[in-house]
Amino acid sequence: MPHWVRAGGLALAALLIVSACKRAEAPAPAPTPAPSPPVSAPTPTAAPLAVQDISLGKSVGADKSIAELATEFAPTDTFYVSVKTTGAAPSAKLTALWTYEDGQSVAESSEAIAPTGPATTEFHVSKPDGWPPGGYRVQVFLDGKAVGTKELVVK
Amino acid sequence: MGLFGDKSKAPPPAPAKPKPKADFSNVKTGSSSTAPPPAPAAAAERIYVVKAGDSLSKIAKTQYGNANQWKKIYEANKDVIKNPDLIQPGWKLRIPE
Repeated sequence: MPHWVRAGGLALAALLIVSACKRAEAPAPAPTPAPSPPVSAPTPTAAPLAVQDISLGKSVGADKSIAELATEFAPTDTFYVSVKTTGAAPSAKLTALWTYEDGQSVAESSEAIAPTGPATTEFHVSKPDGWPPGGYRVQVFLDGKAVGTKELVVK
Repeated sequence: MGLFGDKSKAPPPAPAKPKPKADFSNVKTGSSSTAPPPAPAAAAERIYVVKAGDSLSKIAKTQYGNANQWKKIYEANKDVIKNPDLIQPGWKLRIPE
């Protein structure tokens, strides 16, 4: 075999080896990540119903919030108490119990609600011939459990 | 006894009269809410399968204890009962509460 042929053959063999090595060293294509099972977002659970705020005043707006806050009333005024709640409940009962001075019962009224989120409930009482002067109190109950008290004075 | 009487025997001061209770009998109340009212509970009703010899009065007597309540059953089953005097065995009648 001529010398140049042998040399060429060796060169070709070396080239193939290098090429093969390079091919082997080539980074393997990144494996396609196996599709992960779909993760469903956790269903938000509705917060339980709770009383957030109780306010007292002489009138309420369309949103049932107190439009005119007050703790002192005239005998001819109507008393309003507004109860803001958060959370949801399929059925709940808010009750307002109004008492006079030493605990004499004035009035009690309830509202059945099924809120799905923040809500406002108002209660009001009036007395056509005027309120006797003195101190009054309104207690608010949620499903029979006392959740707050407000006091007012008639002068 | 002294010249001006025994003060120690003076009657005790009359107890203060209890304050008369205020009259709240004419108080008017009201309430409203932005929250919806609870859904009314589904009206409960039972199913009664008519037997041979039954009449609406007889069924009302057994179901309500009062034969005069037959109209209640008739009204609740007008889609089935065309003639209240004629009901057929096997009919399934709604018995409203």
